[in-house]
Amino acid sequence: MIRAYRTPIVLGVIALIVIVLFGVIGSEGDSTFRISTSGDFFTVPDFVLPSRGTALVLGIVLLAIAAASALLVRRGGRVRAWVLAVFGVLAVFATLSWAIAGGTLPMTQLLQGSLALAVPLVFGALGGVLSERVGVVNIAIEGQLLAGAFSSAVVASLTGNLYAGLLAAAVAGALVSLVLAVFAITYIVDQVIVGVVLNVLVVGLTSFLHSAVLDSASNSPGRLPQIEIPLLAQIPLLGPLLFEQTLIIYLMFIAVAIVTFALFRTRWGLRLRAVGEHPQAADTVGINVARTRFMGVTLGGALAGLGGAFFTLGSVGAFSQEMTAGQGYIALAALIFGRWNPILATLAALLFGFARNLASVLGIVGSPVPSQFLLMLPYVVTLIAVAGLAGKVRGPAAAGTPYIKG
Amino acid sequence: MNITTRKRALALAAFGAASALVLAGCAEAPEETTGSGDGADNSDFVACMVSDFGGFEDGSFNESAYAGLLQAEDELGVTIRETESTSEDEYVPNVNALVGEDCGIIIGVGFALANAVRDSARENEDVNYAIIDSALSEDDFTPLALDNVKPVLYDTAQAAFLAGYLAAGVSETGVVGTFGGNPFPSVTIFMEGYAQGVEAYNEAKGTDVQVLGTDSFVGNFEDIAAGQTLSEQLIAQGADVIMPVAGPVGQGTGIAALASDDVRVIGVDTDWYANPTHDEYKSLLLTSVEKSLQLTVFETIEAALAGEFDATTYVGTLENEGVTISDFHDQASAVSDELAAELDELRAQIESGDLVITTEGTPSA
Repeated sequence: MIRAYRTPIVLGVIALIVIVLFGVIGSEGDSTFRISTSGDFFTVPDFVLPSRGTALVLGIVLLAIAAASALLVRRGGRVRAWVLAVFGVLAVFATLSWAIAGGTLPMTQLLQGSLALAVPLVFGALGGVLSERVGVVNIAIEGQLLAGAFSSAVVASLTGNLYAGLLAAAVAGALVSLVLAVFAITYIVDQVIVGVVLNVLVVGLTSFLHSAVLDSASNSPGRLPQIEIPLLAQIPLLGPLLFEQTLIIYLMFIAVAIVTFALFRTRWGLRLRAVGEHPQAADTVGINVARTRFMGVTLGGALAGLGGAFFTLGSVGAFSQEMTAGQGYIALAALIFGRWNPILATLAALLFGFARNLASVLGIVGSPVPSQFLLMLPYVVTLIAVAGLAGKVRGPAAAGTPYIKG
Repeated sequence: MNITTRKRALALAAFGAASALVLAGCAEAPEETTGSGDGADNSDFVACMVSDFGGFEDGSFNESAYAGLLQAEDELGVTIRETESTSEDEYVPNVNALVGEDCGIIIGVGFALANAVRDSARENEDVNYAIIDSALSEDDFTPLALDNVKPVLYDTAQAAFLAGYLAAGVSETGVVGTFGGNPFPSVTIFMEGYAQGVEAYNEAKGTDVQVLGTDSFVGNFEDIAAGQTLSEQLIAQGADVIMPVAGPVGQGTGIAALASDDVRVIGVDTDWYANPTHDEYKSLLLTSVEKSLQLTVFETIEAALAGEFDATTYVGTLENEGVTISDFHDQASAVSDELAAELDELRAQIESGDLVITTEGTPSA
């Protein structure tokens, strides 16, 4: 009984926290949200809101949503995802207006930074979706990202061509996942173990090559230029975010669309999902299970590898040891939080990116929250999201189980 | 061979191969090299060093400490052995691996290695240790001194103070920034000293230069992209001089500065201008807050070689040149003669003890 009310209860608690902590106790002063940047088409004036009043009003709205969803559950309904999304946005806004009281928050840079931090997560999660949807658990996302980062830097430096670097990143990611595929599918080794071992292997291999082989000539690929789409790039807020980015980020948008379409709207995708849900049935109707799995896993690896290129070609401009810093594991969490759905996983990755960037921004504007707590923010958000709101998630039925014909 | 045993054998083989590669790659067996330089032959004395997870090529303090070890090999003719850590769980095994190597001294580089060195030193009382950039303490943080461990500390706040004063003087927007990797004492001491320098400038000039980010941390010393994003946020808030105290992550600040107008960077640990890692944005380097790890490591080894090892704490200061700020290089034109003169004056005051910079992490000898 109480389980059905879990979502309304979580929402109610959050609403009360907002009202008491940010509204009643609150902080004095105005919070300024800056929308426009200098290059914009037309200028949107800064939003200036009284910090405490805003939090109070938003808190009451949040409480109303919580109450409405409790009523809905009582009548036997389910709280819809869009309600949760609206609730989340309002709650974040209330938190922001509290945290930046007396200061100015440039929204464009906040969102730009969030997107940048989310890019490897999105690619990693997409790679994971393909691999797990076809029935192979992919713990090796971290290794694929790192292999992609390494090879893109080396190949782009040696050939002097950044696009060759991108290609190399995809190939390296695919190679790592091919190892996963051979062990998991052909030799039926436990998929989780192979994944973990691969991560450690890639860390060791790239770190060794980095310190033993690479020099400044083979590790200075440069960075991809920003491609500005005329006119569109000058729309306030959205312009710099969506239309003034590097090729990798445009590729990311395209990849999300293609993976979603291919997975749910094509025969190819149906077969792939069938293999992940019920390989025996798929085999019975003549689908080659092993071959489909090889393809799904390898394609997934190529995508994750491409994400790795963001670290080098998209951002830093050189490889350094363990530069992926555990992002592959966060991508894995995004994938699960996104219920193995490419669009939801992308949104989850964006949420992680946002939480992480928000933590730095709050540290900079000098919020009342201690820095150690801010560093925890992305993970707290994850816990609340997964435990409180995502509800029961069910992965592909056959993920992790090898298929033995006969 | 049935499927289960084959599966197990393969998993084992894969794991074995992976571990072998990892071992070969990072926690490598101590390398033995003998001095080839023009120094005397002291090859029976073995000087050993363990890096923290940044590795010896971090373009920052591990690299600088390693340079001291290489200098000792070259000039003193000692044998050197080093192990590079790539993750935090390797500290204890890496330190212990060196115990069996007859080291005349084992040098742990970095705050993160303090407890590994402490535990190893307690078990091996006849081996001498030095720990760079950290004091010793019990697990409950009570300070501790051991007869066979020399803590080497840097009062970085003194130099960071000068950098903060300089930053405030150069800033055109009236906003300067900083951020750290993790809130380690050896990191926050930079940030505190920097903030105090800005404050001192405000007091002297009646200005209101703000310092942003004294409470901002990336959360690690690896994710350069995150450092870039954080720096972009600082720039968006108006900061035009940024001092990243996060090892390699600071490269992200350089990249962010390249993409903006009139943003300058302050390096840490070594003179970034001289390090090829920072070549791309070296024209934007205002100065670097240096810790002379190379010099200190060399001197520590030299003393141990001469049989003069002692466990007293060394504190690097402006006066003993353990810390300093480097030249302004390409940014010299941005620093007015007046400001440069004020910095010299402040430096003299700190050296003579007339001006005392106290931070939470200020080391005491």
